[in-house]
Amino acid sequence: MKQANNNEVDLLLRSLAKGSDESPMANASASGRGNGPSSDHLDADELNSYAEGVVPAPAHARYTEHLADCDSCRRIVIGLTQASGAAIRYAAADQEGGLTFWQKLAALFSPPVLRYAVPALVLTAVIGISLLALRQPRRPELVARNQAADSSPVSVQPSQTESTTPSTGEKPATVSKGTESPAVFDSNEAKNNLRDEKSRVDQAPGTSGGETTAPVAKDGTKAGEAGGADLRPYASEPKAAAPPPPPASLSEADKSAEVAKERPAKREEQERSRDELFRNQPVDEHGPNRSRSNTASSAASQRNAGLMGERGPSAQNKNKAADVETRTVSGRRFTREGNTWVDTNYDSSRATIKLARGSEQFRALVADEPGIRAIADQLEGAVIVVWKNRAYRIQ
Amino acid sequence: MSQKIEQIEKLFAEGASRLLGRAADNHSLTSETLVPRIRAAVSKYVLRDDPPAPPEVVKDFIDKLQADDLCLIVACEQGNQKAWSDLVERFSATVRSAARSASSNEEGAEDLAQSIWAELHGLRVREDGKPAGKLAYYSGRGSLAGWLRAVVAQLAVDQHRKQSRLVQTEEAADFDRIIQQGQDENTWSGHGAAVNPELEFSKKLAGAQMQKALAKSVKQLSAEDRLLVKLYYFDGLRLREAGAVLGVHEATASRRLSRVHAELRQQVERILIEEGWTKPETEQAFSEVALHLEADIEPLLAIEGALMKKENEIAG
Repeated sequence: MKQANNNEVDLLLRSLAKGSDESPMANASASGRGNGPSSDHLDADELNSYAEGVVPAPAHARYTEHLADCDSCRRIVIGLTQASGAAIRYAAADQEGGLTFWQKLAALFSPPVLRYAVPALVLTAVIGISLLALRQPRRPELVARNQAADSSPVSVQPSQTESTTPSTGEKPATVSKGTESPAVFDSNEAKNNLRDEKSRVDQAPGTSGGETTAPVAKDGTKAGEAGGADLRPYASEPKAAAPPPPPASLSEADKSAEVAKERPAKREEQERSRDELFRNQPVDEHGPNRSRSNTASSAASQRNAGLMGERGPSAQNKNKAADVETRTVSGRRFTREGNTWVDTNYDSSRATIKLARGSEQFRALVADEPGIRAIADQLEGAVIVVWKNRAYRIQ
Repeated sequence: MSQKIEQIEKLFAEGASRLLGRAADNHSLTSETLVPRIRAAVSKYVLRDDPPAPPEVVKDFIDKLQADDLCLIVACEQGNQKAWSDLVERFSATVRSAARSASSNEEGAEDLAQSIWAELHGLRVREDGKPAGKLAYYSGRGSLAGWLRAVVAQLAVDQHRKQSRLVQTEEAADFDRIIQQGQDENTWSGHGAAVNPELEFSKKLAGAQMQKALAKSVKQLSAEDRLLVKLYYFDGLRLREAGAVLGVHEATASRRLSRVHAELRQQVERILIEEGWTKPETEQAFSEVALHLEADIEPLLAIEGALMKKENEIAG
C-alpha cells in the first residue's frame, strides 16, 4: 500500500517535472543570474566547494537552500559534481568500508561465487574419492605380503639371515623390526620358541588343527594389532618374527620341521629371500585370502577352515580336518593330499607343469630355481608347488 | 571584543605560516600576503553563518585549505610570471575540457577557453595597479581545478545569456513557444501519433488542481528534500548522482526519497481537503493518477515499438 502510494506520488512528480521541462541553457538564460528565486547566486568558489563537499555545515545549509530553488547554480553544481567524480568516490567508499562481516559472508555464498565454487568443490571431491578408491585395492596386497612373512615357520631364520647376510637390505630391516625387544636371536632361542609353540598347540585340544588355532591364540593380540596396523602395512612386519602355526600333527612333522629350520644353508636363505621378492610382485591370487587372515584372528581361522574345505576331506568335519598334514618348507605351506604334497597357494584350475625327479627338465629347473630343489628334497612323494606364478608337479 | 579579534588575527597569521609550510612550492610568498586571503575565506565560509565560531573551528578550516593551489593563485595575483606560466601549463587541459562540456561546438569551446584566461588575469586594473581578475575569488577551500571548471561554467552561462538577449526577438520567442507546444501536443519522441499523457491527464481529471497542490507541497519541503526532488525529477539525475550532489550515498538518497513521497502525499491531501475535497475524493484522485498515467504510457510504448519495427523493415 505504501509502495503504491509512493508510485502515485512518483508519477505525479514526473508529470510535474515534465510540465516545467526546459533545456538547461534556456532555463539559465530565462532565469538569468540575478533573476532567479535568489538574486544572490553562488560564486564559482562556493559552487566548487559545494560540489566537492568541503563547505562547512552552516554554509552548506544556506547553499542547499539556494540550490534547491536556483536551476542555474544547481546545474553548474551537477556538472562539477560529475566532473569531480564524487559519485564514484561515494560508491568506492561504500564498497571499501561499508561491508560488515555478515555482508561479506553473504557475498561469499552469493550465486555468482557459488556458480564457480560448487563445480570446483564437486570436481575436487570426485578426484579425491577416485584416488581413495584406487588406493584401497592395494592394501590387501600389502597385508598379504606381511602375512606371507608372518606365515613363515622359519621365524628364527631372519636372525640367521641377519647374522649371515647383513648386506641384504630388506632382511635385516625385517629382522630388526620383527625381533622388536630382543634384538639378537640365536638358534637356541629359536628352538625354545618353537618348543613353546608346540606345547601351546598341544594344550589346545579340539581345534581344527594346531596350525590354525595356535597362531590365532598367539597372534590374537597381534592380529588385533595387525588389524590396527592395516593402514600401515609395513608396521605389521614385526609380527613376521612370531612363530608360524605348527602343523596339526606336530608329532609327525616335528622332525622334518626341526630339520627344515636347522638345516638351511646360507645360499638357500638368499634364494628364499629372492623368492619372497618375486612372490610379492604378482600376488593376485594370494592377496585376498592373506588379507583376510591378517585382519583378524577370526578371519584367519575362517580362511584356514576354508582351505580345509577346499582341499581337505570336509570342512564340517573337524576331526578329519585335524588329520590333514601340513608342512612348511622354504616359506611355503604344503598340505598332504594322499601321496601328494600340495602347495596351499595352488589352484587346481591352473595349468600344471609335470616334472619327474632326475629328469633333464627337473635338473634344468632346479639349476635355475634352487628353492624348488630344497622343496623337492624335503618332501617325499609327489609335490605340487607354485613357483613364480607357475605350478609344477614334481614326482 | 578587541581581544577576540586579536585572537582571530593571530589564528590567521599562524594558519598562514602553517599553510606556507605545507605548500610544496610557496612561490616565495609571505604570511602577510596570505592573511587577507585566509581572512576572506574564513569570513565567507565560517564567520558569516557562525559568528562566534570557536578558534578550533577556524584553525581546522585554515588547515584544510589547499596550500599549493592557494599559493599558486596568490602568486599569480601578485604578478609572478613563473606562477602564471605554471598555472597555464598545469590547467590548460582542465579549462579546455570544461569549455567543451559547456559549449555546443568545438569552435565555441575554443573561444570560451581563450576568454577564461583573460577573465582570470583581469582586463581591468585595480586601485593598487594590479589586474582585477577572478583569481581574487579563489579561497583555496576547494580544488583549483574544480574552481576553474566552475568559472568556465559560469562564464558559459553568462555568454549564452548575452547572446540570447541579442539574438532572440519577441517573434522568435513566440516561434519557439509554438514549436514547443506543437511538440508537446502532437508527438511522443517526435513520431506524431500519440498524445501527451500529462496533458490528457490534466484534461480528463482536472488534475491541474492536484498538480498545483503538489507544486505547493514541494516548495514546503525542507531545502535538502527539495533539492533532492529537483535533482531527481527535474534535472533527471539518477539516485547515485543526486546522492553525490547532496553528499550522501545512493541508499540514503533512496530512503530519503521514499520519505519525501509519503510527506508529499500527506501534504497534497491536506491542501486538497482544505480546498474542499473529501478524503475519499483525494484517495480516488491519486488512484486515477496511477491508472491513467500507466494506461497512457502502455499504448505509447506499443506505438513506439511498432514504429521502430517499421523503420527497421524499411532500413533492412
